[in-house]
Amino acid sequence: MNFLSQLRGELRKLFGRPRTYLGYGVFLLMEAIILIVFKLKGAQKMMRDFVERNGLSFGDAYSSLTVTYWMMGLSMFFLGSIYFALVAGDIVAKESEDGNLRLVLARPISRLRILILKYAAISIYTITFVLFVGVSGYLMAIAAVGTKGGLWAWSPEMKVFSFFPDSSEGLKRIVMAAGGIGLSMVTLSSIAFMFSCFKIKPASAAVATLSVLFVDLVLQRFPFFAPYSEYFVTWRMSCWVYLLENTISWPKIASSYVFLGGLNITLFLIGYVAFRLRDVKT
Amino acid sequence: MLQVTGLSKDFGGKPALRNVSFQVEKGEIHGLLGHNGAGKSTTLGVILGMVEPDQGEAFIGGISVQKKHSAALRQAGAIFESPSFYEYLSGWENLRILVSYSGRFNAKETRAVVEKVGLTKAIDAKVRTYSHGMRQRLALAQALVPEPEILLLDEPTDGLDPEGIKWFRDFILGLRKERGTTVLFNSHLLAEVEQMCDRVTILKEGKLVHAGKIGDLQGDTHIYQAEFEPWAEAAAFLELNGVQILGRGRVALPPEADPAILIAALVGLGVRVSAFAPIRRSLEDLYLEITTQASPTR
Repeated sequence: MNFLSQLRGELRKLFGRPRTYLGYGVFLLMEAIILIVFKLKGAQKMMRDFVERNGLSFGDAYSSLTVTYWMMGLSMFFLGSIYFALVAGDIVAKESEDGNLRLVLARPISRLRILILKYAAISIYTITFVLFVGVSGYLMAIAAVGTKGGLWAWSPEMKVFSFFPDSSEGLKRIVMAAGGIGLSMVTLSSIAFMFSCFKIKPASAAVATLSVLFVDLVLQRFPFFAPYSEYFVTWRMSCWVYLLENTISWPKIASSYVFLGGLNITLFLIGYVAFRLRDVKT
Repeated sequence: MLQVTGLSKDFGGKPALRNVSFQVEKGEIHGLLGHNGAGKSTTLGVILGMVEPDQGEAFIGGISVQKKHSAALRQAGAIFESPSFYEYLSGWENLRILVSYSGRFNAKETRAVVEKVGLTKAIDAKVRTYSHGMRQRLALAQALVPEPEILLLDEPTDGLDPEGIKWFRDFILGLRKERGTTVLFNSHLLAEVEQMCDRVTILKEGKLVHAGKIGDLQGDTHIYQAEFEPWAEAAAFLELNGVQILGRGRVALPPEADPAILIAALVGLGVRVSAFAPIRRSLEDLYLEITTQASPTR
């Protein structure tokens, strides 16, 4: 009960910041831009050519579900990584920089509990934000494209190409994919959270997080590392795409999320040790 | 109520505290003084568990802060210089969040404290709209819920106007009177410390250089203000009796001298004694005297 009340306070702090809502606005704008691109004739022609070359009907593939899939994937890849790195990078470092942490640490609460609360809050925030992007993207796509059609998903990196002609099955899969992206993004937030626990500026925590992801992504593309791709964080984070395969391979998905879960725990523990050993001057 | 024993702490090889020990009795208002960098904030940091000492321990109500952090801090409330709240939230929301870290949030108790510190009207406004004085009142409110046994105040009156300082002083003194709250008061404002504190601990370069009652220190003087007529005759007599003449109107008696006997002798010689009283040194005099002496040896 007390934990929930404290968690509520953490969420209130997170959702009370004006810049949080700026983020929501920026994502809606990004989704609108992606939607406009999908409505462009040139883009539709490219998609038609590609889809029909693969034996699908453009009329069935070009749908609100397909647009939502691309919206979620692209906006999370380009903007989500930056946004979550910023928000999670702030979670401890900003309070430390602003001096709020002094008032918190002067209370009878352990540092471990403070971090558990903050980690829980940032995880909830990450997952709900991804769901918001999914729902808002879907609603915008329905307004622009209508409800007809199935779901076409394609990810060359993860070797996934699938089509769900039944829109209800497509919707179910897109909801599952949104949950999967949310879980994957928790790892990104965990990296930023860990850096945030060190005695660094909030912006430095965000930059360090993005650097880790960038290096991981670049190394993964080297032919030398191709056999080891499953050891890269960004590859594991992309495993949500497997939820869109025609036949879901649960062991493959579970192994990736277990990997990410273990990584998250490790990152939390490193952050905790750094935070525990820190002196916070009054 | 509060005890620190043998605190030592280095920051990057630079000693911030060196074997500092002192204690604060229950119901006492205790001043912690020292120049910038003397180790006051580090001491407070150790007491609140924010700074891990290299050696030594701090106890609140007999419970070690370093070993049982939460249990020890359950008895304490703290205020810092320029307290940083969540600016984008209201005063009430800030209180709710901070108090919840101490256990269950009690709205009734919190509202009573808000009223006591005079923030009722502004409590629902965003903290970013608060003046410095209102922030200090909010800081005081958060420190008082739940009711602490000891208040740790770090430069609480810095930046307040004279009215604000007086209000704060009266509030703390009232708190001690009503509830018997113990207070550790870290301040640069020596006049404030002098008016509020029963005892002081003075730090210099991380070492304790003085600890004791203010009254004892001020009373421990042999310097007197004296007005005699004729002055020259009286001064000559006093010098013969080992009294040091510091100037016209100021004399220093040897420790063994009895002022009453000297005055009686002077009167017997026909000297008119119109004034003879010990000069009480202000805390500022005492502080400057102690802190400008050679480096501490204790």
